[in-house]
Amino acid sequence: MDSELLEQIVTNLKDINSKLDKLIVQVENRDEQITEKERIMADSLDVITLLSLPDHLRTTATTLFEIGPATADEISKITNKERAVESNYLNQLVRMNHVRKYREGRKVYFRINDSLKKK
Amino acid sequence: MTLTLAIHSSKGGTGKTSIAMNLAVAFASAGKNTCLIDLDLRGPSLCSMFEPKSHFWINDFLSGKCSIKDTLTDVKGEMDTKAHLYLSFSNPDIREIRDLVSKDRDWQASALKALMNGKRELSEKDLDVIIFDTSPGVEYESINAVAASDVVIIVHNDTNACTSCTEQLINGVYSLLDKKCGIIDNMSHNNCLDMIDKKRYGVPVLATIPCMCEIATRGKNEILVHTEPEHLFSKSIISIKEKIEAMK
Repeated sequence: MDSELLEQIVTNLKDINSKLDKLIVQVENRDEQITEKERIMADSLDVITLLSLPDHLRTTATTLFEIGPATADEISKITNKERAVESNYLNQLVRMNHVRKYREGRKVYFRINDSLKKK
Repeated sequence: MTLTLAIHSSKGGTGKTSIAMNLAVAFASAGKNTCLIDLDLRGPSLCSMFEPKSHFWINDFLSGKCSIKDTLTDVKGEMDTKAHLYLSFSNPDIREIRDLVSKDRDWQASALKALMNGKRELSEKDLDVIIFDTSPGVEYESINAVAASDVVIIVHNDTNACTSCTEQLINGVYSLLDKKCGIIDNMSHNNCLDMIDKKRYGVPVLATIPCMCEIATRGKNEILVHTEPEHLFSKSIISIKEKIEAMK
């Protein structure tokens, strides 16, 4: 009876594990997949908008402008803030559509958003 | 490490271009590889003093049509400077200027990115000094130049309008972008060769240049630092150059 129960628990755990794996992949891909609507809305960061950002976000965005695509870790070394703090600021900028986040291997990179309406 | 300067002012006609050109010649004469870029896209002026020999304008670079190197003309021979003196011209064709006025903020955002990349490209080319000559006031082109620079040189003249706007620019633009600044009091009417203030609005005053008709008349077709290094104006420019180097 005990071994039967254990077996069932193990099976369930395996099931949960594989479901979690699928979820992780979905969440990771969600950042990459941009719907057509979001593409049109994609907002490039111009200098006047940069000026109107709150101080902490402006420093992060300016640094990203200066050094080009970078990880939160690289930004934090220049701004002398904690990596987690910069990561938070960068993600705020991503939500504001000013910065784009992408993955290369195991690292997460950020770059200033490009306008897709190329002229 | 490349030093990037933006020559800016709150109002027009304060002498940005002549100070930018003379400073560029002063740096190149002192052995610094220098690049002067005309970013006054709405009122180009570098082409009135020099003849462009490149196929591309800085406008083409900002629009992503060429690399920044494709826009450069070297005037080392012409100006007899010790180091290279590259110029990047803005297109004076009225159709180009009309086209520019209709550009939207997306274009300006990509122009800022291009300018940042161009600056990196020039640093890799062993340029020691990059000078942006800008348009006056708060225009996209000039604030882009300020954002891409390390030090902002404010060319100021003694009018009330200029005074109040300069203070606003310092507090509302340069400080927000964490830029080091220096003020040049140009065309000063105080009969005085020494600096009147050492600091104004918390920013160092680098020089006071007295108002002299000669600077305006000869400056039309001469770069005084080149033709008459002993001139009072040329000496001021050299001392400004030294102070800027010390700021770095």
